[in-house]
Amino acid sequence: MSVLEANHVSIRFGGVQACREVSVAVGEFEIVGVIGPNGAGKTTLFNLITGFFAPDAGTIFYKGRDVTSMAVHDRAALGLGRTFQNVGLVKGATVAENLVTAQHLQADYGTVSGMLGSRPSIATERRLRAKADALAGVLGLGDLIDTQVQGLPYGTLKRVEIATVLATDPDVLLLDEPSSGMGPEEAHQLGDTLLDLRKTFGLSIVMIEHHVPLVVRVCDYVYCLDFGQLLTEGPPLDVRNHPQVVAAYLGEDPDPAAVALEHQLDSLVEGN
Amino acid sequence: MTAVTATEVSDEERGNSQMRPAGGGRFRPSPIGWLARAVIWAGVAYLVLVVPLGQSPTDVQQFTRGVCYAVVALSLNVMLGYVGQISLGHQAFVGVGAFTSAYMVTTQGQSFWMAVFVAAAVGGAQALVLGAVSLRIRGLYFALITLSYGLVAQDNIFEIQELTGGGAGQQAPKPQWFETEWRYYYLCLAFLAIVLYVDWRMMRTKSGRALLALRENPRVASTFGINVRLATLFAFVVSGVFAGLAGALIAHNDTQVSVDVWNFNLALVFVIMTVVGGLRSRWGLVIGGAFFALLPYLIEKIPGFDELLADIPWVPRVLTPEIAPLVIGPLLLLINLIQFPGGIGQQLRPITRWLGGHRFDIHDKGPKEVQITDVRA
Repeated sequence: MSVLEANHVSIRFGGVQACREVSVAVGEFEIVGVIGPNGAGKTTLFNLITGFFAPDAGTIFYKGRDVTSMAVHDRAALGLGRTFQNVGLVKGATVAENLVTAQHLQADYGTVSGMLGSRPSIATERRLRAKADALAGVLGLGDLIDTQVQGLPYGTLKRVEIATVLATDPDVLLLDEPSSGMGPEEAHQLGDTLLDLRKTFGLSIVMIEHHVPLVVRVCDYVYCLDFGQLLTEGPPLDVRNHPQVVAAYLGEDPDPAAVALEHQLDSLVEGN
Repeated sequence: MTAVTATEVSDEERGNSQMRPAGGGRFRPSPIGWLARAVIWAGVAYLVLVVPLGQSPTDVQQFTRGVCYAVVALSLNVMLGYVGQISLGHQAFVGVGAFTSAYMVTTQGQSFWMAVFVAAAVGGAQALVLGAVSLRIRGLYFALITLSYGLVAQDNIFEIQELTGGGAGQQAPKPQWFETEWRYYYLCLAFLAIVLYVDWRMMRTKSGRALLALRENPRVASTFGINVRLATLFAFVVSGVFAGLAGALIAHNDTQVSVDVWNFNLALVFVIMTVVGGLRSRWGLVIGGAFFALLPYLIEKIPGFDELLADIPWVPRVLTPEIAPLVIGPLLLLINLIQFPGGIGQQLRPITRWLGGHRFDIHDKGPKEVQITDVRA
């Protein structure tokens, strides 16, 4: 039984078919990778799943419910958490403020009661802050807790973002290129962190990732997109060695006629 | 909007944030440090609470106006500072509050307290209706809608004879026990304190944080489970309630409300005083509001100031007390945009932080401004 399911979703932006009949299923406690060259429609797929776009066709099921036309914040309330390709954080705020803001739905006091400074609201605020500190500790951000987000190095921002999305108390995590801006060493550590988080928080994870060793190591299943369509799917190693995937990433074998023409041109230039 | 909020970050600031102590070793002032702070606090309290006692009633009336304008600045700040949406029709919100309160007391024979409550509620209701219709759009277009609402109010709501009392204006007597200018001044201070408290608590709880998040990045805010539309509407209602309250207080301070003061010039002064005071800085907003309310008074009061302004070369003698805020305001706004984007509040921040029991740090300019761009997902 899959926790998250996209069934034949399609969306078109003007002349571009960004997603065509894409179907993805994520099982419980599974780590699923989504790979593909730039412009393949990976992030568009995330936007469809989290609700920033409504698909032209197809349905999205989450925990057995049809969420195709549900608002982003309602899906977040159901436990769908996501990160962004170029860091989705409130950069004017500190790390702690981000972590507390992300716990918006766990602040169980009324708005007015909070504005009047009622006792329960203050107690809850203290609890949220404690959780923020704990999460920062888990991701090794303890020293940065009161630092403003703007100005932190990119790799650190990615970790802050993961901490923030964990603060929303998700069941399914959609990570958009979590290892971008990280060196190989850091990316390796990130793999450990993700495996740990799955165990500690009982998460299912979907990640868009370009760093192939990371995908092979942590993912249970991989989807490869190209030009908005599903190219192939399967266990990581199979997908990595799939001829079409290799072609999509590295380009197809060159056309013999074109090669011949190039040689001709070269010799002409040399002749001069 | 971005022109107001976007700034360049100097290297100095960048270095400063990294030197900030992290967690653990919280700074505590020494006993002498506390004493110094207490002295300054006492000085501020003396200036605000005791000095007006020795002034003439007409002067105190001006001070009360300053307090009321501080409430207006806090009201506009909720939209402009926290949500990042500009309201150019705030004079209508304040004006409707003023007339509502005056109408409740004079025509309906209600008590002052009831009238203030109704004025605040009407302010919130106005914002609720206008916001529910218009807050699906943001930025410049929202500003245009509020601008037109102000003009519509001027030509329609303020033309209702029953509400505004026509050309003669509506009477708004001061409440019982607070008939003297001095007592009414303290009453308004109490209301300002309540507004400051509510604003402070709001920004320290989920509703305020939601506003800051959605101002910077509505998409990220929605992934936190924040209903962006609803939160924006909520902020507009809070802003409307504060504006209605401020209007009621202004009405009973002047003891008479007339139609001709609630025009677009006033809306501009409101916006300018809020930005010059300093968005998201309660100290700055109070000072900015009070300063602009007292500007005409200061020009008349400070000996020679009038002549000094008249002597500025190439400037025709336009600085009558009525026009002064609209001439001095934009000048301050220019300085503000070029040099001090955080307004008065940012300039005072080292001092206000110090007064709050933190270490004195002359380079503390508050959180670095972030260029507001919609993150492409």
